[in-house]
Amino acid sequence: MNESDKVILLVEDSADDATLTLRAFKRSHLMNPIVVARDGIEALDFLFARGMHADRANAPLPTLVILDLKLPKLDGLGVLKAIRAEPMTQFLPVVILTSSKEEQDLISGYALGANSYVRKPVDFVEFLEAVKVLGIFWLMLNQTPTQRTSS
Amino acid sequence: MKISTKGRLATATVLGAIGLIAVATWSAIEEVEQADSQRRQTTEIARALNGLRLVTFEFILHRQARAREQEREVSQRLDHLLADFSAGVSSDDPAAAELTHDLRARNATADRLFVELLASPVVEPSAGSADPATVRFESQLSSRLLILQQETLADAFELSDLAAQRIDAAQRRVAVVTLAGLALIALCACGAAWLVHWKMLRPIARLEQATREVAAGNWGYRLEIHGDDEIAQMARHFNAMTHALRDSFHQIERSNHELAALNKEIEAFSYSVSHDLRGPLRSMDGFALALLEDYSGKLDEDGEDALHRIRAASQRMGRLIDELLGLSRVTRTELSIRPVDLSHMAHEITDSLAKHHPEHPVSLRIDEGMTAQADPALMRIAMQNLLENAWKFTGKSASPAIHVGMRNTGERREFFISDNGVGFDMAYASRLFGAFQRLHHENEFAGTGIGLAIVQRVIRRHGGTIGVQAELGKGATFTFCMQEFEPEHPAAPVPAHADPISHSPAHGGPHAPAEGASCERV
Repeated sequence: MNESDKVILLVEDSADDATLTLRAFKRSHLMNPIVVARDGIEALDFLFARGMHADRANAPLPTLVILDLKLPKLDGLGVLKAIRAEPMTQFLPVVILTSSKEEQDLISGYALGANSYVRKPVDFVEFLEAVKVLGIFWLMLNQTPTQRTSS
Repeated sequence: MKISTKGRLATATVLGAIGLIAVATWSAIEEVEQADSQRRQTTEIARALNGLRLVTFEFILHRQARAREQEREVSQRLDHLLADFSAGVSSDDPAAAELTHDLRARNATADRLFVELLASPVVEPSAGSADPATVRFESQLSSRLLILQQETLADAFELSDLAAQRIDAAQRRVAVVTLAGLALIALCACGAAWLVHWKMLRPIARLEQATREVAAGNWGYRLEIHGDDEIAQMARHFNAMTHALRDSFHQIERSNHELAALNKEIEAFSYSVSHDLRGPLRSMDGFALALLEDYSGKLDEDGEDALHRIRAASQRMGRLIDELLGLSRVTRTELSIRPVDLSHMAHEITDSLAKHHPEHPVSLRIDEGMTAQADPALMRIAMQNLLENAWKFTGKSASPAIHVGMRNTGERREFFISDNGVGFDMAYASRLFGAFQRLHHENEFAGTGIGLAIVQRVIRRHGGTIGVQAELGKGATFTFCMQEFEPEHPAAPVPAHADPISHSPAHGGPHAPAEGASCERV
């Protein structure tokens, strides 16, 4: 599989933030396909090939999950918990990308097994920089155990 | 019955017993004296009787005429003595009265016999020619007289014995009354001891136990109330007091719960501020930049300027929100008091500032050995803000200098950060520590105007105050002092989620003047 074929799952309820994140990836020359899930349930449906994503039964798991914390239906921490509870996804790299810099959110995020925690800055230039570093690290440098497909 | 009444009763009983003993003793002494005088009288009587007998014997033997005189004299004296004695004998002593009566009667008879004897013809024993009838008569007369006198003497001794018996009886009575009185007093003492133990010491012990229970937080503890004495009243008051305390305690607990709920709301608000208000700002900044990048050729200079302004404003608002959250975090964070080396901290911060502002070299003087018991994270925020301010406002000085130091003011140690920057007019000092208050234009000196509000909150959380002394164009000196926390009890200080002001009773109210109420000589 080509490096640029690695799918990224972006879990983000705000259309603006999703657009800006996609723009930041594009500006950082990260050409990986990005799937956007609008809430926590949709994210889990995508990962576990359920509901509207039932057709993904044999599709490979995304390489990286970028997770916002404040989400409708099921919040980011709930999604993270579900991901870590499932043997298939327990080693899936999950980066929390959120507006919150509350100490409690950081602690809960890491306690539930987040791989890193990045705060969205207001300044888009800074945001761009953050996405760039994040993409390079998780998509190019980081090694994960052998990829498994969805059941 | 009240304890004081019982005490009075016991005292009265004891006094009564003592009085009884005194009266009994006194009356016994009286009686003894009386009996003693009677005995002395009977002795006199016996002596007189004896005298009479001697006179009689003498007359019978010698028949001298002067015996008559002597007999009369003695007999009269005896009669007097008997009369006196008879007068002294009380009516409740019938034996003595009867004896006295007999004595007097016999004495009268004896006197008459003696007169008869005198009247009889004188028989000269030597003559030997006496009439035998006369001699026999005389002899009979003498014998009767002597027997009479003998009986009288026996009666007199009996009287003396009676008096002695009276003395004995009186003494016995005194002994009995004294013993009975002492027994009564002992009984009273036992009663008083019982009273003190059961009605005073025991209830006091129960009361003491109750105070300990209540002190340990057992607000529901109720004292059982027995009787209606002073201690029962005290117990009643104690119960009322505990009740009132429990009510106040519950009210405080309720208030605390309300405060905790309020605090949760504030936290929720902070959270949504942090999350939801920043989102739109990110969009504004991001899309403005997108416009600038994607449509750079199609926008004129004014259009680009407008987009730059949108970006700057968004970013500025982002900073404001961050600092506001920082301010609220200072209030909400739980204090963790540890020894903090403020000198070391000042060095670290100024090193970093010097690195970030190589264009603005500052002459630094940091006193060594400045330590405090404080929360390291919060102290770093405060020191960072104060030093950044000093750095910033010396930006236009010819030879910028900052002094971080400490001085002792008796009770407390004062720390100060002094600079020779632009300073400010002290007329505005009161506004300095308010959130978003600025004394300079932003294009002159950058900043959100929240740093000093954060510093003040940090110092207040440590039970201290901060003050400032400044002069326009000559610099400013910020002075703060903090509560001296005990190193052994790092958990004791001001809890988070509480109004820090209420925990620093020694220092200013919520509107402590910016000039520093307690940090004098700034």
